[in-house]
Amino acid sequence: MFKHNTLRYAVLVLLAAGALFQALTAEYFGLEILTEILILAMLVLALDIVAGFGGMVSLCHGALMGVGAYAFALLAGQAGIAPVLAMAGAVAFSGGIAWVIGAICARSHGIYFIMATLAFGQMAYSFVFESPVLGGDDGISGIARLDLTQIGVDLNDSRSFALFCLALLAVVYGASVLILRSGLGRSLSGVMHNEQRMRALGLTVWRVKADVFGLSGMIAGLAGALAAQHSMFISPGLLSWTVSGEALVVVILGGLGTLVGPLVGAVAFVVLKHELSAITTYWHLIVGVILIAVVMSRANGIFGWIEARWGARIERRVADATRKQQPDGVASDA
Amino acid sequence: MSLDLGFWALQGLNALQLSMLLFLLSIGLTVIFGLMHFVNLAHGSLYALGAYFAATLAGFGGYWAGFFLAPVAVAGVGVLLYSGLIRRMRKSGPMAQVLVTFGLIFAMLDLTRLFWGDLALAIEVPEVLGGRVALLGIEYPTYRLFIIALGLAIFAALAFVLGRTQIGAMIRAGVDNDAMAACLGINVERLFFIVFCVGCALAGLAGAVAAPLLSVTPDMGLQILIPTLIVIVIGGLGSLKGAIAGSLIFGFVQTFGAVLAPQLASVLIYALLAAVLVVKPVGLFPAKG
Repeated sequence: MFKHNTLRYAVLVLLAAGALFQALTAEYFGLEILTEILILAMLVLALDIVAGFGGMVSLCHGALMGVGAYAFALLAGQAGIAPVLAMAGAVAFSGGIAWVIGAICARSHGIYFIMATLAFGQMAYSFVFESPVLGGDDGISGIARLDLTQIGVDLNDSRSFALFCLALLAVVYGASVLILRSGLGRSLSGVMHNEQRMRALGLTVWRVKADVFGLSGMIAGLAGALAAQHSMFISPGLLSWTVSGEALVVVILGGLGTLVGPLVGAVAFVVLKHELSAITTYWHLIVGVILIAVVMSRANGIFGWIEARWGARIERRVADATRKQQPDGVASDA
Repeated sequence: MSLDLGFWALQGLNALQLSMLLFLLSIGLTVIFGLMHFVNLAHGSLYALGAYFAATLAGFGGYWAGFFLAPVAVAGVGVLLYSGLIRRMRKSGPMAQVLVTFGLIFAMLDLTRLFWGDLALAIEVPEVLGGRVALLGIEYPTYRLFIIALGLAIFAALAFVLGRTQIGAMIRAGVDNDAMAACLGINVERLFFIVFCVGCALAGLAGAVAAPLLSVTPDMGLQILIPTLIVIVIGGLGSLKGAIAGSLIFGFVQTFGAVLAPQLASVLIYALLAAVLVVKPVGLFPAKG
């Protein structure tokens, strides 16, 4: 089950403070980068729930995000529904799609699960790419942002939009923690560690997987609706499998199955990308080499590495304290 | 559109040609996976590398220099990859392997851009294969027939080696149960290495023969990767039969889908893959039951 420890709280507070500071002080470009980080962070949270706590390594989360973005654009733009409702509809729609994908893929494991999700993601990509209603290759432009002027917030201002995304990300993080601590989340961990035993205990395994996948898809859909509003333009590229691959890279760079780690990863990835692409056009090469190095080091990403070091220190301190309490060196059974 | 014999013959040959190209790629990938349980997403990058080597070598010694030397060069890159990365990743889970090879895709994409630039390269088809052949009432490019013949020849050779020779029996034993094979005195580690190199060489060969048909661009490896993965997952991992069956299914569905139902074509193949995975989660002809 997911637990917070002091380190996780500390990093969360640091990240939140940093984001708030950036949101309040940065100029236009800084705010754009911040918003990009926040949206990516939401997507990787969704991915970490299924991959880190359920062992379901999905390569269709980029597509789910794209589905959310397109659903929002269609509902708010073409159908003319109020943006708030359109956003709820987009979240529900991508959640539903994700539930179906999760239910179908629940029997597959390992590389087959990865491939099956990849297939569904690519199916969505090709569908959007080929369909003239959705703008095909050209995408859809002129997507309106949410209208919150009634409570005195103008989301067309990038500072307000960044703060709005930050608030939503905080809500999503809280929801993710709640999901993982609920009975469903605990069942999911059980399924990841020993699926057969959970089945023997009477659990409907595919239901658990599908439910969590659906919830994760809702988060990805929300990220998509935000991404559509952020750039006010969407194209099929949003659904491409490389987006899912990059999200997976971010989760791994940060630390799989830690929830906090992927947030760190999202910051590192976006900042790295912008810094590197300013220096060289070959930033993929550097990211690739870093990725290989991180995975080969066998540490669980940046945050996982810090946590392991921190855990080792705590253990040493506890061991020291126990030794002091028992100067005669009697081994305790505790 | 006239649906006469010529149409079917033409599209059938096109489908066969696509299938054979995919077969050359997928056979290496699938046997590497079946034998080593190693997921090599960078296989597509090796194919792109093969095309680039062929393009460069063709500039010096003509098409045939590229055709024969590019697979050797790609196998050389494979040796480097094996000793540098893959041997160390053997014992890790599929997740780590997917990620490391995903990183390799990134790195190799930019390395090819660094060496050969962003512009597409082109190779001339050699004169012998340049013309057209009258066949079944249609004129068909000789070069495409050459690819079909090459694919069939490689298939026959692999079927012979895997099914009729001692090393083939050793490979099949390794795929079936590597621990038991090792107990019986087979040097499974060396076998892995050989299979990996041959797989890389075949990927390079696929790149070299595809180069004159498609333009050689840095992202050609990414483009071919998904079809190749679909082929091996539909076919079932680790078996020659699966690779050829998956390639033929993909080639024919893709080609005939594109001409008969253009609206559905791109979704069709993914729907087929999903259907196969639902009905038979390990593919049609997996090496292990």
